[in-house]
Amino acid sequence: MAVKKRFPYRAAVVACNGSCPARAANECRYGCAGCGNCVSVCRFGAVFMNENGTAQVDEEKCIACGMCVRACPQEVIHLHECANYIVVRCSNRDEGKAAGKVCEVSCIGCGICEKNCTAEAIKVIGHCAVIQEEACLSCGMCAVRCPRGAIADLRGILTRRQERR
Amino acid sequence: MYTFTVNGRTVTTQKKQSLLRFLRDELHLTSVKDGCSQGACGACTVIIDGAVCKACVPTTDRLQGRKILTVEGLSEWEAEVFTYAYGEAGAVQCGFCIPGMVMCTKALLDVNPDPTEDEIRYALRNNYCRCTGYVKIIEAVKLSARILREGVIPEKSGDDWKVGSRVHRLDVEEKVLGYGKYPDDFYMEGMCYGSALRSKYPRARVLSIDTSKAEALPGVIAVLTAGDIPGENKIGHLKHDQYTMIPVGGLTHYLGDAVALVAAEDMETVEKAKKLIRVEYEVLPAIHNIEEAAAPDAPLVFEEEESNVQAYKHVSRGNAGKAIEEARHVITQHFETPWTEHAFLEPECAVAYIDEDEDVMVISTDQSAYCTYHECSLMLGTDKVKAENALVGGGFGGKEDMTVQHHAALLAWHTKRPVKVRLTRAESLLIHPKRHHFVMDFTMGCDADGKILGVKAKVASDTGAFASLGGPVLERACTHAAGPYAYENFEIEGTAYYTNNPPAGAFRGFGVTQTCFAVETLLNMMADEIGITPWEIRYRNAIRPGGVLPNGQIVDESTGLAETLEAVKEAYDAACKAGKPAGLACAMKNAGVGVGIPDWGRVKLIIEEDGKLHIYTGASCIGQGLGTVLVQMIVSNTDLCREDIVYERSNTWIAPDSGTTSGSRQTLVTGEACLRACRKLMEAKADGKTLSDLTGREFYGEYLAKTDPLGADVPNPVSHVAYGYATQMCILDPKTGRIERIVAAHDVGKAVNPLSCEGQIEGGVVMSMGFALRERYPIDENCRPTERFGTLGLFRAHEIPKIEPIVIDKPGLKVALGAIGIGEITSIPTAPAITDAYYRFDGERRFCLPITGTPYERKG
Repeated sequence: MAVKKRFPYRAAVVACNGSCPARAANECRYGCAGCGNCVSVCRFGAVFMNENGTAQVDEEKCIACGMCVRACPQEVIHLHECANYIVVRCSNRDEGKAAGKVCEVSCIGCGICEKNCTAEAIKVIGHCAVIQEEACLSCGMCAVRCPRGAIADLRGILTRRQERR
Repeated sequence: MYTFTVNGRTVTTQKKQSLLRFLRDELHLTSVKDGCSQGACGACTVIIDGAVCKACVPTTDRLQGRKILTVEGLSEWEAEVFTYAYGEAGAVQCGFCIPGMVMCTKALLDVNPDPTEDEIRYALRNNYCRCTGYVKIIEAVKLSARILREGVIPEKSGDDWKVGSRVHRLDVEEKVLGYGKYPDDFYMEGMCYGSALRSKYPRARVLSIDTSKAEALPGVIAVLTAGDIPGENKIGHLKHDQYTMIPVGGLTHYLGDAVALVAAEDMETVEKAKKLIRVEYEVLPAIHNIEEAAAPDAPLVFEEEESNVQAYKHVSRGNAGKAIEEARHVITQHFETPWTEHAFLEPECAVAYIDEDEDVMVISTDQSAYCTYHECSLMLGTDKVKAENALVGGGFGGKEDMTVQHHAALLAWHTKRPVKVRLTRAESLLIHPKRHHFVMDFTMGCDADGKILGVKAKVASDTGAFASLGGPVLERACTHAAGPYAYENFEIEGTAYYTNNPPAGAFRGFGVTQTCFAVETLLNMMADEIGITPWEIRYRNAIRPGGVLPNGQIVDESTGLAETLEAVKEAYDAACKAGKPAGLACAMKNAGVGVGIPDWGRVKLIIEEDGKLHIYTGASCIGQGLGTVLVQMIVSNTDLCREDIVYERSNTWIAPDSGTTSGSRQTLVTGEACLRACRKLMEAKADGKTLSDLTGREFYGEYLAKTDPLGADVPNPVSHVAYGYATQMCILDPKTGRIERIVAAHDVGKAVNPLSCEGQIEGGVVMSMGFALRERYPIDENCRPTERFGTLGLFRAHEIPKIEPIVIDKPGLKVALGAIGIGEITSIPTAPAITDAYYRFDGERRFCLPITGTPYERKG
């Protein structure tokens, strides 16, 4: 670890699954545009573009300085506590039908996660699921029940890493 | 076909089901506990590919190629280390959360051999524990880490098993390694599953029940209705007003009332069959709260009663009205406390079958096997019933009533097959009796020096859909409302009302938690008005040996309230000096049920063929550690050593009835009975006989904790054989407003096992932090509780402050080596202490629990 981290450890997370190649014709207005700003501003080499051209964070290297969050024109990056490894990987705020069309793994705001959450920690706000970290028990029930695969277990246990449908 | 490995063994399955169900039902890996099946409790935590995971979450189809580890798959060395560390730290109480905690421990230490305390707390924070307050579990993780790093298991710090020794509890290993059986861990040959169809409406008349479609469903073994009950339909802990099933023509009382029972080959079929039962109701207006219940033209919850008043108590000594009139300072205030859910980790479960004597045998998780026996016998109309406790995954008062036992017994009686009846977590939240919601009006009068002259109060409680222990809870709320202070004028009037809400009954503190909040808050206000500290006003009024309580009882030499105050003095003064907001409260709590009720402790010591002394007593060990207490008492009072003694779980055919595990009574009452049996044993051994010379002999001890009834016509009635006393102090961090630490000083007479005492204190304090700050149990307009286990607001491992238990031994009680039960009092003064600390923090008085305006309040 390059920099000493303060507990509780935090890191940036990109709320976009990036299943659609960035900048394609039917591009999602809310998702990662693949501009690479985040990669350039990160001084720790913690952000990289994955095989889809979508930004992804290496939590081991990230110190949650927030530079990438500020640099992202799409506002799809936010900070989270690493201990909360269940995250929503989508920022699409369109209604279900439209959101469903642009991407295979988008959140369509169906609310199944909300119904299944034992801690009332996940809520659909503006057609997109949001996790309230303080209340989350990291059980992953939302991730397992999500019909779209929009919610991920960053450890790759309950959902496979970069799960495809 | 899904293939993965479990504890190194490759398994395949075709069925898509939750990993939890697969591990338990197919592989019988019963260390993986089913506490909620909702992803909340953490009792089913396993390790998948090195990471912790709640087994109820993933389904088998997602596990292809995964490596799954349960406690059963630990290496011998790990098993030894965790057993030692959890035992040495005193981390194991009821044990139901422990295998999950052990999994969290291993997963953390595998990647981080030397974690900080914060890292440990975070590793445990998605798993709930309701007994320990997490303190000793965190200690156990630290200790495990050290041992795993150093590779050597140290000596136990207490191993002589004498009274006063910090020995490892006798049930640590079976609970850490998960082989100890709770009822749900019994998988019997030919076992079927049972469940009740509950009422659709809180108050309705059942017009008809059609079970024909359900009976026709393949896999269904029996569908029963009220007409199938051979004995009494109405049972109950004291008052018989709890229906086993609501008959056609009868009224339902709450959403948890059973209308029909189904037994089938598997749970899926049971649930399908329940949906096929057609019940016609005439929906009637329900009673939602105390006001509606008390209204002059209120509909009746019970048609057979004259009103909705379940119990009424009036306690009066001296002349409170006159004393208050003449007092220099008078404060009157209204208080409210909420419903509280026990949230024990193990949901209710019973397995019943017909045994070789053709008796109905009930294996259950309850607070008295004899209660299960009596109530099932009453319902079956026969005494050919036996009951035995399995391990009990926490009770806190919530397992005193029948919830599943009678249903399992009835289904077994009809089907002649072993039947398991287990509540889902949602059912558990609805069905077992809760802590009473109280509304209270108190007036206190003091003289210029802060001496209490008189207290007058009126309280009302919502006791819900059946009596349970509503009457005694109300009584204890009233008798203890005066507080542990020496004054003569006290009057209280209390009423408990039936409503169509879930029932309320026993809950750690038994009504005293509620009235203590009121009287202690008043005392803090009074101290401010008079201009002395909350500590000083208590010290001036504190009951001391030989003093007379407001109930008229002269207290004995063991009375240690002043000592508990002195124990926190230094910390209190230091906090005040440092400008830290500090709140204080005291409490007293009886040990033993008292007030003239025959309160028997009975123990039988039998030397069996194995040459060992077996302890039989019908007293439930519900996680508080009674077995360990009895063994320590025997080792201290005979020439036997630990290895000579076997503690047997409570049953009703060998063990004598020793009353319910309630009222902090077992250590004192059953403890004294045990000592009496020890004396007989030692007489028999006087001529140099060894244990094996005595094979087949029984040594019986019994003790009656004799008390006077309430209102007895004697000048100084003995209401209770003993009282425990406590002072708790809450200190806030002035910057964040979070609790920095809670100091809890408890007078326990004689601590049989100080490690266990501390565990009780820490657990009780954290439980009541929830009561004070966050826990809720809202009930909607259909009388349905709306919370799930994960939203009750229970505290989690990373949120707890530093807790400093101070155990004070003060001799004086003539029985049980002076030991006074500590089970309940640990939870009583916490809420008023916390509330006062927040007043010192922001100047706002708070009279309703849970309090608002704190960092612990739930957002959103």
